[in-house]
Amino acid sequence: MDLLSSMRISATGLAAQDVRINTISSNIANAETPGYQRKDPIFSANADRENFGEILSRMDEKAQGVLVTEIVESDKMRLHYDPRHPKANAEGYVEMPDVNVVQETANMLAASRAYEANITAINAAKSMALKALDIGK
Amino acid sequence: MTIKVFDRTLEALSKSLDMRSERQVIISSNIANSDTPGYQAQELDFEGALANALTLDGSPVARTHDKHFAAGGEIDDIQGEIFNQVNNVVREDGNTVDRDAEMASLAENQLLYTAAADMLKKKLAMLRYAIADGGGN
Repeated sequence: MDLLSSMRISATGLAAQDVRINTISSNIANAETPGYQRKDPIFSANADRENFGEILSRMDEKAQGVLVTEIVESDKMRLHYDPRHPKANAEGYVEMPDVNVVQETANMLAASRAYEANITAINAAKSMALKALDIGK
Repeated sequence: MTIKVFDRTLEALSKSLDMRSERQVIISSNIANSDTPGYQAQELDFEGALANALTLDGSPVARTHDKHFAAGGEIDDIQGEIFNQVNNVVREDGNTVDRDAEMASLAENQLLYTAAADMLKKKLAMLRYAIADGGGN
């Protein structure tokens, strides 16, 4: 466990937040698309291992990166009354996705902050590693 | 006053660097998982053990055999304790990471790592100065 594994862990954080931002943009873009299902990524903690030996180390269960294990789709629909719409059902309702644009925007901001936090952690690890290299000079 | 080049400072500083890079891994793990449901924030503590080892220097319980248990004064034996942070607010999804507090510890850890690396460098420069009979640097 060293500074490089710290950077690997932060990189998993960046990747996960990236997936989250992608699903949010997809949700916002399709907020008015009939039949679209709202997507939500599920995060879970995942042990950071570079090799088998690290399974035995005491840090194994403690130092965890993050992984998007699945993206769930909500089958909840919002019924919008528009009898002239080509996709309207017999009663004149169109099935619109359950997307709240304001909520998605707030989520987008949260994801963006989390992304920045991971970047800061990578920069900290990087400058620490450079400082360590500096000892020998 | 005598200035010793080979005292326990070198040992203590290098242990401090080791522990701080482990702490960096723990902090980056917390930051990466700040949105993971059910994730428990971790913490690494070593300062107490290190301070203890330094004050126990020359303690009456000496190790006279390799197979004796350490009396607690050995800097080399310090592992640091990793535990779950307990006093944090638990969010609705079971996550206990306080991202702002983690960013503060990240900055603190980075500063103290830099300080320890600088001290180590100065210490080695002193040794080099002595080797060069006061002529080099």
